[in-house]
Amino acid sequence: MQMLKRISFAIGWLTLLSVVTVYILTLPRSIDALQIPPHKPDLTNGETLFWAGGCASCHAAKDAQKEARLTLAGGLEIKTAFGIFRSPNLSPDPETGIGLWNNVDFINAMVKGISPDGSHYYPAFPYTHYQIMPFSDLIDLKAFLDTLPAQFSRVAEHDLNFPFNIREGLGLWKLLYLQEPIIVPVNQDKGLLERGRYLVNGPGHCGSCHTPRTLFGGEISDRFLAGAPSLEPGDPTTGKPKARIPNITPHADGIEAWSIKDITYALETGLDPDFDSFGDSMVEVQENMAKLSAQDRLAIATYLKSIPALPSEK
Amino acid sequence: MKTIILQSAMVIALTAGASSLAFAGDNMPFKKEIKARQSFMQVYAYNLGLLGAMAKEKAPYDAKIASAAANNLLAAANMDNGTMWPKGSDAEAKGLDGKTRAKPDIWTTYPKVKEKSKHLKEALTLMAAEAGNGLAAVKTNMGAVGKGCKGCHKAFRVPKDE
Repeated sequence: MQMLKRISFAIGWLTLLSVVTVYILTLPRSIDALQIPPHKPDLTNGETLFWAGGCASCHAAKDAQKEARLTLAGGLEIKTAFGIFRSPNLSPDPETGIGLWNNVDFINAMVKGISPDGSHYYPAFPYTHYQIMPFSDLIDLKAFLDTLPAQFSRVAEHDLNFPFNIREGLGLWKLLYLQEPIIVPVNQDKGLLERGRYLVNGPGHCGSCHTPRTLFGGEISDRFLAGAPSLEPGDPTTGKPKARIPNITPHADGIEAWSIKDITYALETGLDPDFDSFGDSMVEVQENMAKLSAQDRLAIATYLKSIPALPSEK
Repeated sequence: MKTIILQSAMVIALTAGASSLAFAGDNMPFKKEIKARQSFMQVYAYNLGLLGAMAKEKAPYDAKIASAAANNLLAAANMDNGTMWPKGSDAEAKGLDGKTRAKPDIWTTYPKVKEKSKHLKEALTLMAAEAGNGLAAVKTNMGAVGKGCKGCHKAFRVPKDE
């Protein structure tokens, strides 16, 4: 009897302990204002990062052209196997957008995936990539976003399947997939390769589509940019993905045959070495990349030719 | 005994399955149309490649070749090839998985595809008028022509299944 009591006490204690541990481990952890050094925003750099990040592709209206691409009212529906995500309003509207955010709010969103009210963002917002952006770049980007037109527009909640609809679960997800940010200031002067590495892994978030993910949606680093099934929901009966996103490593299955010039030309014009054009979602990405400097496109191309060559999944 | 019957049944089923796969190519619906439109796209790519090689400075600029290629592209864009895209010959149609990348939206949103092809024609009209005037003109017009191609490929084509 005494023994039984002791065991049940132990179980009770362990359960409580694990509940508390999970609770603590999954609490959103934010960056303190004191960690952020003062920085005078550079709007030109902010605009470069805006195009490199492709912000408009998700936050502007679908198929928006020219000036309309700068109105980031959100509401775009992104249909995935996890459910439907709706992009939030990123315009400087004070009520429905991010007009009242300060730099600390913005940096916490971009680097930690945490909203100003302290809840977790879903990684459909690619903060796992943005987390390598230095504070100075983030402050520049925020300053540029502040210059864009404000648009009052309330966006509906995401429609996610169980268990992905439990936002608290993202605390665990972040423990697995959001490692400590590597905050290294990288600028154009540090060489093409490093600039390319920064643009591809950070703002450009190429891996979001080109790197395959685990069952829980974490990118598999061993398969970096080696092509992946599209995140769009596939055939409901066979489970076959709608399409595959191409391998962009320098492997024969990828872009081995593409010269650096081929890559920069494709990013500039949307025409591949066979003079077929890009299609589907890559058109948006390419048209954003076309707004970067020729030097930045060269950096991306140089870096892509330097990464490990991986075969596509057969 | 039961096992043998079951095994034979499976072998028969598998063989039947395999042969139906093998014949899929011959019985493929809209085979002619799909072959024609894919070849037609190759004609575009070939001519665009002549201009593109010059634009990328992989080939020397040649006014005569550039003009001819641009005129071919414009002529191709002006062809009425509607019959190559019969309704139901899309990637989601039965028997066409992996054979075509045409999205059903071509037909469900018609005449959007026609409006988009108008932009390609406009870009090619400019290219045809200017391609003989020097490399700079070719380079400048490539962007708009590429945009013309992307217009349809963005909305109406599924990505390549590697």
